[in-house]
Amino acid sequence: MTDAALTLLPEAERRARRRTRLSRASAILVCQIALLAVFLGLWEWATASDRAVAFLFGSPSAIWGFLVQMWRDGSLFRDTYVTGVETILGFVVGNVLGTVLGLSLWYSQFVARIVQPFIVALGSIPIIALAPIMIIWFGTGLISKVAMATLSVVVVALVTAYKGAMSVDPDNVNLFRTLGASKLQIFRRLVIPSALSDIFAGLRMTVGFALIGAIIGEFMSSSEGLGHAIFKAGSLYNIPKVFAALVATIALALFLTWLVGKLERLLTPWKNVG
Amino acid sequence: MTGGAAAPPLRVVGVSKSYEVGDSLARVIRDLTLQLDSGEIVSIVGPSGCGKSTLLNVVSGLLPPTSGEVFWHGRKLAGVPANAGYMLQKDLLLPWRTALGNVVLGLEIKGADRTDAQDRAGAMLDRLGLHGFADAYPGTLSGGMRQRVALARTLVTDPEVLLLDEPFASLDFQSKLLIENDTAALVRGERRSVLLITHDVEEAVSMSDRVLVLSQRPTYVIRTYVIDLPGSRTDMMEARKSHGFQDYVRSIWNDLQAPKR
Repeated sequence: MTDAALTLLPEAERRARRRTRLSRASAILVCQIALLAVFLGLWEWATASDRAVAFLFGSPSAIWGFLVQMWRDGSLFRDTYVTGVETILGFVVGNVLGTVLGLSLWYSQFVARIVQPFIVALGSIPIIALAPIMIIWFGTGLISKVAMATLSVVVVALVTAYKGAMSVDPDNVNLFRTLGASKLQIFRRLVIPSALSDIFAGLRMTVGFALIGAIIGEFMSSSEGLGHAIFKAGSLYNIPKVFAALVATIALALFLTWLVGKLERLLTPWKNVG
Repeated sequence: MTGGAAAPPLRVVGVSKSYEVGDSLARVIRDLTLQLDSGEIVSIVGPSGCGKSTLLNVVSGLLPPTSGEVFWHGRKLAGVPANAGYMLQKDLLLPWRTALGNVVLGLEIKGADRTDAQDRAGAMLDRLGLHGFADAYPGTLSGGMRQRVALARTLVTDPEVLLLDEPFASLDFQSKLLIENDTAALVRGERRSVLLITHDVEEAVSMSDRVLVLSQRPTYVIRTYVIDLPGSRTDMMEARKSHGFQDYVRSIWNDLQAPKR
């Protein structure tokens, strides 16, 4: 080896470094928990003294009470499950559709230029405006919510995938050409993997969009799901229950985001090194 | 014209290249002629921005010339030449592939047998001093090592002609000399031909059998030096110390500073 730049540190040294990193991570976690505790404490204190305030803002203890009740009667799991399924299905369908279309636009600059204004136009539609149509077309069940989630996702996925495909280094395309690669080989071996980091950025962003789409769909017309629970509790001025369902929604969003991160680390192992 | 064994691997005859920039025409190459013989290392030096890289892209079939012709083994170039290896200053390694995966790329595209390709790629990495790094991702390698992986990727398809565009320009002096030595040894040992584009005059003189000096844009060959240095020509330090080396370097420098029109 003439210019070896990659040698492993001694085992003890590596362990020590890992420990330092870990203790910093746990310090951050402790501060985060403390911040949350202070916030909840102040909330509880402010609502404990005044019933009107407690009615308007709910209190952490009342929210917790509703969470426990919803857990006991099974609605917590059921509503989260329903919204989760709607979100995941819309997320998958929208991303697959958008990514495939976005990547394939790399194939033809001509077609890409033709469809560009239409994509911009579709992207500028407020999704909520489509909800009544989706309910009319697909009914009040699962499909209309999946359609709403899909619509919230598809244009963003298309644009990020196309952007990723177009950001391929032209010198790299030239290298592939000198190696005698066909356009399909360039597409499969260069364009798709190059676009992966943009695609994953899109995935992380669209998890939230899919959830918003599903919940808007539930707001419009539904018989179950977190959006349904929030809407119903809100109409009955049951603020703590709205917050309880909101907590479940946040938990669902965090879980789905974590899942996407996991998937990304699994599919792009070269990013975890170094 | 038919390609016989005697035809030189690469001949460029009266090539011109211009680009349309808005309504005007930018002339980059003007009536340029050169020849690369079998087993020969030829360097091209020129003032910066003179169109050296455009020339390389024309020669490698990535850009069509405006006029003139490029012959590979006596045959007029159509598309991309089959037996050329191409390497730039940027290593262009794919970050999602390991070192071995990057080296194997060319063989994979050409449809070679998988295990055979991996064996050859592994052997090439070993020869370039990267034993044990086959499974490392490019992100973990130093600049010198990355460029060695790129060199391995270029050589593993067994090209007769290497087209190198400032391949070592971004490396520090020491890494550069070492990789130059290895390149010269691998090229001269197998009688491959090299067209080396560089702005480093010392690199050009120490590596090459001939050095072509290009003019400013629109560029053409203003002078050809036949480099006659003693020794095996695979040790760049030895070449730098040898008698006559400095004379070539000085003379080429003068040509570059006072370009004859």
